[in-house]
Amino acid sequence: MRAIKVTAAAALATLGLGVAQIAVAAPFASASSQVGWIRLAHFSPNTPAVDVYLYSFGNSSAQLVLHHVDYGTVSPFEQVVAGDYTVAMRAAGAASSSKPVLSTAVTIAAGHAYTVAGVGPAAGIRLEVIPDQLRTPPGKALVRVIQASMQQDTVTVTAGSTTLASNLKFGNVTSFVTVGPGTWSVQAKGASKSVTASIRLVAGTIHTIVVLDEPGKLVIDDLLDAAGSKVAPNGGAQTGFGGTAARPGATLAPWAAAAITGLAITVTGTAMLTRRRRPARHAR
Amino acid sequence: MRAEFFGPPDDPEIASHGWPARVQVGDDWPARVQVGDDWPARVQVGDYGASQIRARDADSPQNQTAPRVEPRDARHVSHIRVIRRPWAAVVAVVGVVVISLGVAGLWWAGHTGQSATPVGHPPVTPIPAGHYAAAPEAKTQFVPRPTGLVIPAIGVRTTLVRLGLTATGTLQVPSSIGVAGWYTGSPRPGAIGSAVIAGHIDSVSGPGVFFRLREMRPGELIYVERPHGSMAVFKVTSVRRFLKAKFPTAAVYGPVPNAQLRLITCGGTFDPSTGHYMSNVVVFAVLQPPSS
Repeated sequence: MRAIKVTAAAALATLGLGVAQIAVAAPFASASSQVGWIRLAHFSPNTPAVDVYLYSFGNSSAQLVLHHVDYGTVSPFEQVVAGDYTVAMRAAGAASSSKPVLSTAVTIAAGHAYTVAGVGPAAGIRLEVIPDQLRTPPGKALVRVIQASMQQDTVTVTAGSTTLASNLKFGNVTSFVTVGPGTWSVQAKGASKSVTASIRLVAGTIHTIVVLDEPGKLVIDDLLDAAGSKVAPNGGAQTGFGGTAARPGATLAPWAAAAITGLAITVTGTAMLTRRRRPARHAR
Repeated sequence: MRAEFFGPPDDPEIASHGWPARVQVGDDWPARVQVGDDWPARVQVGDYGASQIRARDADSPQNQTAPRVEPRDARHVSHIRVIRRPWAAVVAVVGVVVISLGVAGLWWAGHTGQSATPVGHPPVTPIPAGHYAAAPEAKTQFVPRPTGLVIPAIGVRTTLVRLGLTATGTLQVPSSIGVAGWYTGSPRPGAIGSAVIAGHIDSVSGPGVFFRLREMRPGELIYVERPHGSMAVFKVTSVRRFLKAKFPTAAVYGPVPNAQLRLITCGGTFDPSTGHYMSNVVVFAVLQPPSS
């Protein structure tokens, strides 16, 4: 009998533990934050168009293929499950089974974004994994510069009086600079050529400015990397008036207390009346 | 002397406590002897003042030998009963009134205006006609403004009003419970970023436009209508509930690198003392490009 009780208790304990484990595991299983983002870009001026493949690590069939990606092309961000991936580049039109010209491994962390870009001259092209940023200081924008011009070995990039990049070498990228919102005159200046573009920066957005070659001139591409609200509202939203809400059980307590108190008062009053009748009897 | 009292020496209850020690002259409980008490005005102390009785009672051993007060006659008792009964009767009546209030409150508090969980099926809402918007390009940032919202899975079909911020910096909500609104501080739906649309779960008496939002499931589609027949179509990735006190501002309003949508309404426990729900339900969705 005792043994049975012990067994039953153990079984209950195990069941309880199981429930606890499920309860703990559930929020993670349903979380949507286990995704990250990746985009692919071609910033090598004298490299012909390529096909870019994205493989989940250890999987031989590509998850994403971008055909005929030429110089200056940037794909949209692809939302993928966080984990290890391989990016491979093949000449445009080459068989998917052929040996890639270039490949690199990239680990995509949940909630993070990455730009994988072919950079440098064709003779020395490399795949660069550039981490992106997904948070801005309140009321500000973030800007960085990628120098993808071969004509100008270095460029200096300014937005108004703010320097975004100073003598940035071909194939390099700056870190992010915080800039106030507004429409800015952005200038990229090399040794022999320069270009100016009007760029609107909204608070809560993140931009990458790419300096590119075009025949006989420089151009500026303004890439919107990410965007959120200009101003994040305080707290939650008051989107209900309670007409369909169950009245919470807690509010029953005061009413129950009132009823019980009333009962006590009534009993007391009645008792006082009753007790008073006794001396009256005696007196009679 | 003609001091009044209500318990004669042979009263069993009084006798058990010892007579006359139990005659608490000047005590705070007036039930037995009303002399020198809070209510002396109602008591006929006769020729003796309350203080005289109190003094005699307090100092002398001889007052143990015999009661210093005498039972009044029947005529006096009857008079006192008449004087004093209304007070106790008032107590009893007040008690009954309080009981009634409590029971009425219990009935009110236990009453629910409408089922908290939607029952039945949402109205049939056809999938709107129009062409799907492509994934936004990082270089071409123009996206038309949102004009309408259709969610066949929960029977929503509404125009979209424009929402800003309140004076205290919280999200403005639609003035009508029947429509949803796009927060103009957020990116346009279909543009890169986290677009935000809010709507009411209910009014003070019935369901609002987002009454069934919590029923949405991952994979269901949300259609945001724009001018000229284009639609930004989103696929639900998750439906979450957050305490307003712990609202995940960065996850809802923070930057994201692709076209996403958040639908916000209320949920969880309703707090009648503030007139607000304590939680928000948020649907997270990502743009569904035309081909897939």
